[in-house]
Amino acid sequence: MTTITADDVQQADRDSSQAVTRRNITIPLKARGEPALWALGGALSVGIVMIFGFLLLVFYNGFTTFIAKPVAVVTLKSGELVAGEPTRSELYKLAPDAVKALAPTDAAKIEARGGYEQRTLYRTGNYDLSGYDFKWVDDRNVARAEFPSDVLFVERLEWGAFVGRIKAAAIDGKTVSTPTAKDPALVQAHEAALQRLQAIRNIERNLIGRVNYDLERLRLKVRRAELNYGPTSPEAAAARANEVEASGPLRAQYELLAAEAQRIRQIDQKNTVTLADIAGKEKTLPLSGLVRFYAANDLTLADKIGIYLSRWWEFLSSDPREANTEGGVLPAIFGTVAMTLLMVLMVAPVGVITALYLREYAQQGRLVSVVRISVNNLAGVPSIVYGVFGLGFFAYGLGSSIDEVFFLERLPNPTYGTGGLIWAALTLALLTVPVVIVATEEALSAVPRSMREGSLACGASKWQTIRNIVLPRAMPGIMTGIILAMARGAGEVAPLMLVGVVKLAPTLPIDAYFPYIHLERSFMHLGFHIYDVGFQSRNSEAGKPMVFVTTCLLIGIITVLNLAAIIIRSRLKRRFAGSQF
Amino acid sequence: MATDTSTASRQRVKSRVTRRSVLISDAIANWVIRIGGLGVILAVFGIMVFLVDVVRPLFSGAHLVGQHEVTLKGTSGRVLSELVDEYTTIIVSVEATGEVVVNDLGSGRLLKSNSFLTGDRKVTAFSSTLRGDDVAFGFDDGTLRLGRIKIFAEILSLANVPSGLTKLAGNTLTDGEAVYVPIENDQVRKLSVSVTLEEPQRIAPEGTALIAVDYRLGGTVERPTTSFVSIDANGAVRLSRLETKRNLLTGKEQTSLSSVELPSLPVGTDVASVLMTSQADQVYVAEKSGWVSRYDARDPSKAAVAERIRLTPEGVRLTTLGFLVGEQSIVAGGSDGSVNIFFRLPTPGAGTADGFALTKAHELAPQPAAIVAFDPSDRSKMFVTADAAGNIWVRHSTSEQTLLKLRTGATDISAVSLSPRENAVVAVAGHGKAFTFSMDAPHPETTLRTIFGKIWYENYPEASYTWQSSSGTDAFEPKFSLAPLIFGTVKAAFYSLMFAIPIALCGAIYTSQFLGGRVRGVVKPAMEMMASLPSVVLGFIAALILAPIVENWIGAVVLAFVCVPLSLFAGAYLWQLLPQPVAQRVGGGAKLLFVGASLVAGLYAAIHLAPLFEQVFFDGDFRAWTSGAGSSQPFMTLLFWPIAFVGLVIFIRTIPALSGSGRAGDDGAREFVRWLAMLALSLALAAGLAALSVWAGMDVRGSFVGTYVQRNTLVVGFAMGFAVIPIMYTIAEDALTAVPEHLRAASLSCGATPWQTAIRVILPTALSGIFAAVMIGLGRAVGETMIVVMAAGNTPIIDWNIFSGLRALSANIAVELPEAVKDGTLYRMLFLAALTLFIMTFVLNTIAELVRLRFRKRAAQL
Repeated sequence: MTTITADDVQQADRDSSQAVTRRNITIPLKARGEPALWALGGALSVGIVMIFGFLLLVFYNGFTTFIAKPVAVVTLKSGELVAGEPTRSELYKLAPDAVKALAPTDAAKIEARGGYEQRTLYRTGNYDLSGYDFKWVDDRNVARAEFPSDVLFVERLEWGAFVGRIKAAAIDGKTVSTPTAKDPALVQAHEAALQRLQAIRNIERNLIGRVNYDLERLRLKVRRAELNYGPTSPEAAAARANEVEASGPLRAQYELLAAEAQRIRQIDQKNTVTLADIAGKEKTLPLSGLVRFYAANDLTLADKIGIYLSRWWEFLSSDPREANTEGGVLPAIFGTVAMTLLMVLMVAPVGVITALYLREYAQQGRLVSVVRISVNNLAGVPSIVYGVFGLGFFAYGLGSSIDEVFFLERLPNPTYGTGGLIWAALTLALLTVPVVIVATEEALSAVPRSMREGSLACGASKWQTIRNIVLPRAMPGIMTGIILAMARGAGEVAPLMLVGVVKLAPTLPIDAYFPYIHLERSFMHLGFHIYDVGFQSRNSEAGKPMVFVTTCLLIGIITVLNLAAIIIRSRLKRRFAGSQF
Repeated sequence: MATDTSTASRQRVKSRVTRRSVLISDAIANWVIRIGGLGVILAVFGIMVFLVDVVRPLFSGAHLVGQHEVTLKGTSGRVLSELVDEYTTIIVSVEATGEVVVNDLGSGRLLKSNSFLTGDRKVTAFSSTLRGDDVAFGFDDGTLRLGRIKIFAEILSLANVPSGLTKLAGNTLTDGEAVYVPIENDQVRKLSVSVTLEEPQRIAPEGTALIAVDYRLGGTVERPTTSFVSIDANGAVRLSRLETKRNLLTGKEQTSLSSVELPSLPVGTDVASVLMTSQADQVYVAEKSGWVSRYDARDPSKAAVAERIRLTPEGVRLTTLGFLVGEQSIVAGGSDGSVNIFFRLPTPGAGTADGFALTKAHELAPQPAAIVAFDPSDRSKMFVTADAAGNIWVRHSTSEQTLLKLRTGATDISAVSLSPRENAVVAVAGHGKAFTFSMDAPHPETTLRTIFGKIWYENYPEASYTWQSSSGTDAFEPKFSLAPLIFGTVKAAFYSLMFAIPIALCGAIYTSQFLGGRVRGVVKPAMEMMASLPSVVLGFIAALILAPIVENWIGAVVLAFVCVPLSLFAGAYLWQLLPQPVAQRVGGGAKLLFVGASLVAGLYAAIHLAPLFEQVFFDGDFRAWTSGAGSSQPFMTLLFWPIAFVGLVIFIRTIPALSGSGRAGDDGAREFVRWLAMLALSLALAAGLAALSVWAGMDVRGSFVGTYVQRNTLVVGFAMGFAVIPIMYTIAEDALTAVPEHLRAASLSCGATPWQTAIRVILPTALSGIFAAVMIGLGRAVGETMIVVMAAGNTPIIDWNIFSGLRALSANIAVELPEAVKDGTLYRMLFLAALTLFIMTFVLNTIAELVRLRFRKRAAQL
């Protein structure tokens, strides 16, 4: 409302100033306050530049990461060969002492540039052969750079990328010498190898996992019987007998599965590929160890698009590898979504009920206004404080009690007595409940009093009025609050670090084992993934592209949620504008 | 729903009685909502209560759980040393006669007795290691015997307990030598003692008694060394080392003893005791008079007295002297009941031979009578002292607090000991009386003073605020001062607000007062979009992308703070050159574009002038300059420039003749020239001021400018801006827009320009709302976690240097809490950090909220 009137005044303001000029009365320069105005405007433009610069940086890096880049082979003046994707170039300042130590011609050039030197970062890969996977090359040391069409860029399951050439390949035991990247036999064999890998993973993770799960359950049954009835009781003896009886077939099944996995592995070993780096150092690895390979300087646009899309697909649909710096983020997406949904399930009813109490039921007086101030304040309490509370109260307090009552047989390994999905969701629910309360209260107060009075006058009870008249009209506002809470919750990391987020969760919180939803499990989170890959990994440079993509994903999710809130809010406003009494 | 209500109303018409189900559901809703609502509100306050509850034990000191007195059978009560097991079940006392007696502490029953005596030798000196289980006896014939008292604890299942045990006090049992204590899960703990002794070693010449000895085990696991220092009746001080070598071929162990004679004491020295370190590099000989001679024996062959110092005042005898765990603190007890702690610290100008000096670091509360016994804990800086009046005080060195004052009533205590788990104190007095005090002292190292005050820690030259919680060994002294963390929080918040306040508030004023509706409809959501950026992303960008760039281009970054304002003002003065009708026509978004262009021009200039700037102002290398290279005069000129400019403006205003108020300042060119002249004049003034202050010895480095590190406060402040600006901007903009329209309309219609209206009418009215915005922004900055974790370097230091790192409360919690042991001191300290944050933000937000409410009321009245 105020905006409209402000506009009107602006308009009037402009009209009046035009009138002034028409009358040809000049305003004193001092009264115009031009320098101060420019300072104010400058501050605003700094803010705008900051936000757009930031988004540009993130999205540019995020969306260009998966583009297949050419591979340069650089011959240095020392004769050394460096092959890799040129990642970025920058000017950097050389220490004055370092400049003095250079050859006079180089030193003079750098002096002329004010001590700055241009350098390029190459992603060289081949960490297992050379001990590094990124290398800075100063421009003055470069003799020449070429882009030969036969150089391959290979993504591997282990040791990161490889840059070099294929020396030989063995397909089903038959050796093929110097095949190209597009050799159909090789491509076909690679696809078969990937399928075999999938099969092995399926056996090891799902089938053997099932057997292990059953064995563990038998063991726990024995332990529970021992704890409940004493180790010498007949119940415990029965449980032990049951374990012996049931574990026999399970073990047999395990042997069978292991043998099958072994058989596939043996086939796998007959399909190998020998890679050679640019200097000729060789490395042989199974074909299934390659994720993707392509001749980086010999790609058509279609190839590039294909690689780009397949990398995005891999990112969104697979598990991370190489200490989270490669592969995908599926478990993190899953964890983020599961945690946020769980949080909403808890925060929505609680927040709405509290707002209803404050707005519809409580006596409006000093106490309620104090409570309202406190609720507003809680929105400003640092999130880490909630994390501390969640750890101390939920995980160590409530969780340990639950363990002692229900999961005695698993102690001293905590089940609920440590960080987990449920505690993270509860903590974030506490963190976001003020958002929902404030939004719901606003929505409730926006429902005209006349409607309530009308309903009551017709004889509806208080609850009937709230349920049928107030809540439906307030619903869009409440939804906005809930969505904003989701956006806030999805972006929080600090409290989660304390209550259940881990860098690598072995199992998802939802799986095929009873009770299917495992609220006590720790989980992965996109935000923590960013922190972990950026700061805890071996080489932050190697993780950077991954972090940028993850960042894009996270900002994308949050922006979508915020946009939804904005759209719902504007709909709500329109609906109200149309139905004013 | 509509049909629902209509049927309900139809029924009511018929019966005029409200349906039962409606009444019930109404009652249920009533109760659920009331209970739910109140429950949430209570839960929210529960957070604070819970935090306080976790933190409280930090300040509770210690309390007595129980006490127990028993007479130990078979002991004389003149005890040199005593040793208690982990569970305070049995006590081993070393008698002055050289006997080692083992008793059950519950009943006093004698379990075992061993004698170290052979023949008619008399014990004249005794020492034990810190744990008390390795002992050394010196005899009157100049020989020395080493021994080892080991207490074994093993857990047996009930079935393995031998039969025929006799009952002791409570439910403990004994087979005559070992004690059996039933514990949970049908298990039994068996405690037994073994005493072994080695062959006598001759140290002093035949017939010369050893009057003092100290014994240490040192070296590594692979090559353990045993060393001891002894003083004989003639005042000869000997440093001896036993080395055990295993012959690789035969597997036989061979022990060799090597002794070095240190400079002997003057004749007639009344030796009280002797102390040495595990490395055998320092030897302290204490005299009863209170004098201590410190030998520097780092090179045993050249050992000499490095220092002679009185540890007690004149007339007060030194009664006990001993190390605390870690051998950095020396506890000296006097005959006047005083207990003081000394550190050996490098002290320039102390006049000692090795440059070190014993310095009194802690003066603890004195006891009413002379100190007679002392025992340190072997895992912390806790210790007990007993006095001649029968008082036993449990103390802690770091916190200087007396945890417990125990009273035995016995005036002849000869030994006291602190149990290995620090949960009991056992004292032995005459006639074999033993006093056992069980206590609970979970957090002896923390008091309000250690948390917020300056504390003198071991190895520190003076008292300081230090946070260092990680402990590699038991000997480590944990340093829990929240001061550097609170400082870090305040520093990060201060610098980020220095950056964020101008941008947020100026931006808000411009948006609400000088932008049209359509442009504002784009600008405001864009600024608010900043709020939805997750802070982990900001932290990542700041630390891994921004920090290296800033480090590389620091010259340009600093120059930007000069160039951007200059280019904006230059833009403004150039704008005034435009004919007024033209200038007036361009407003709103279009003008903002021009402003943006001049901003970009400023940045462009900063980047291109950076090398030159660095050359002229920072001696060619900014980072070297911050560490002290070159002169600070040019930079100080730069600092004084804006101050001089503002001073000049004010000065001119006060003199009407100069301000030229006679003519309407409508000549843009004149104004421009005047501005340039003012710039030049103020620059000259600033240069003069800078020269003057440099001449007076001022150097800006060391204050808020100092040595450059990559992850620094400048970067944190910038990144934190993203987190703080949107919320301040939104609240301030709302407050400015909420100023009633009639005020502005009145001002404009009276002929005021929009600028005059904004600054003289709108701003004063909205001031309280803007204050609230700043408070809330401050609260945000204080609590921000991920940015400081990632970009601040996490060094807990106290200095205002904008180019150094910091460690904030929030970051500290995030980094250390996952590894803290539940209910340990660190765990509770981190909860205290969280509570501090909670209180800080709660106070800030409450102030903001109250101010905002007042503003709303006032705005409604206008």
